[in-house]
Amino acid sequence: MRIGNASGPIDISVSGLRAQNKQMEIISSNIANARTTDAGKGEPYRRLEASLKTQKDEISGVQIDKITKDMSDFEKILDPGNPKADENGYVSMPNVSLPFEMMNLSIATRTYQANAAVLKRYQAMVETTLELLR
Amino acid sequence: MSKTGILDLLESGIKAETLRQKAISNNVANLQTPGYRRLGVKFEQLLAKAMESGDVGKINLDEIKASLYQPKNTALNPNGNDVNLEVEVGDMVKNSIRYRAFIKLLNKTYAQIDEAIKVG
Repeated sequence: MRIGNASGPIDISVSGLRAQNKQMEIISSNIANARTTDAGKGEPYRRLEASLKTQKDEISGVQIDKITKDMSDFEKILDPGNPKADENGYVSMPNVSLPFEMMNLSIATRTYQANAAVLKRYQAMVETTLELLR
Repeated sequence: MSKTGILDLLESGIKAETLRQKAISNNVANLQTPGYRRLGVKFEQLLAKAMESGDVGKINLDEIKASLYQPKNTALNPNGNDVNLEVEVGDMVKNSIRYRAFIKLLNKTYAQIDEAIKVG
């Protein structure tokens, strides 16, 4: 492990900010498409989920590993007037659950803030050292 | 060739950080410009190479002149732009820390010279 790399914590915090930024992008896609019945291939929209992994096998930042589709069942709602309805009057709706997305949104926001707080605190710490150079 | 002094080294360091600050502002200004590739500054690598001889006094300042370059190894957005705001902010924090360190060292060096003058 390398020590004495003064920019380490900054890079790690930035990687956290980037990962949560992407997470936020995915959540907004899920929420925007919460009622999208056509996502191509005759299927409604499937919610996306990101999995995170470490950048290296030591002290390191985070990165998005992959973005996968949630393969859980679609929600069926009764809406006979809908042009997408089947013969029984049911329409397949995306497997997005708004309360769940809102919860993830809060987590993503808080994690982003936490990373920004670490970055700020680290900056203040280095400033303290620089003050010794007076 | 005269010996490279601490003031010359600090000067080139401060110049490099000033140039990097400009590059970062340029990158942030072009955050949404389609096809824009971010600019970086080559300085630390050049300095490390110049330091290989081990003698700080023998560093040729022309070799460590900071220069702009396009890394072109970062992930592209759909519009062909590769600027990421978080990365730029992180770079800016690192840059300002180094800049402040250089300025403080410069102040310290001047204070020492001043001290020597007073004694004389």
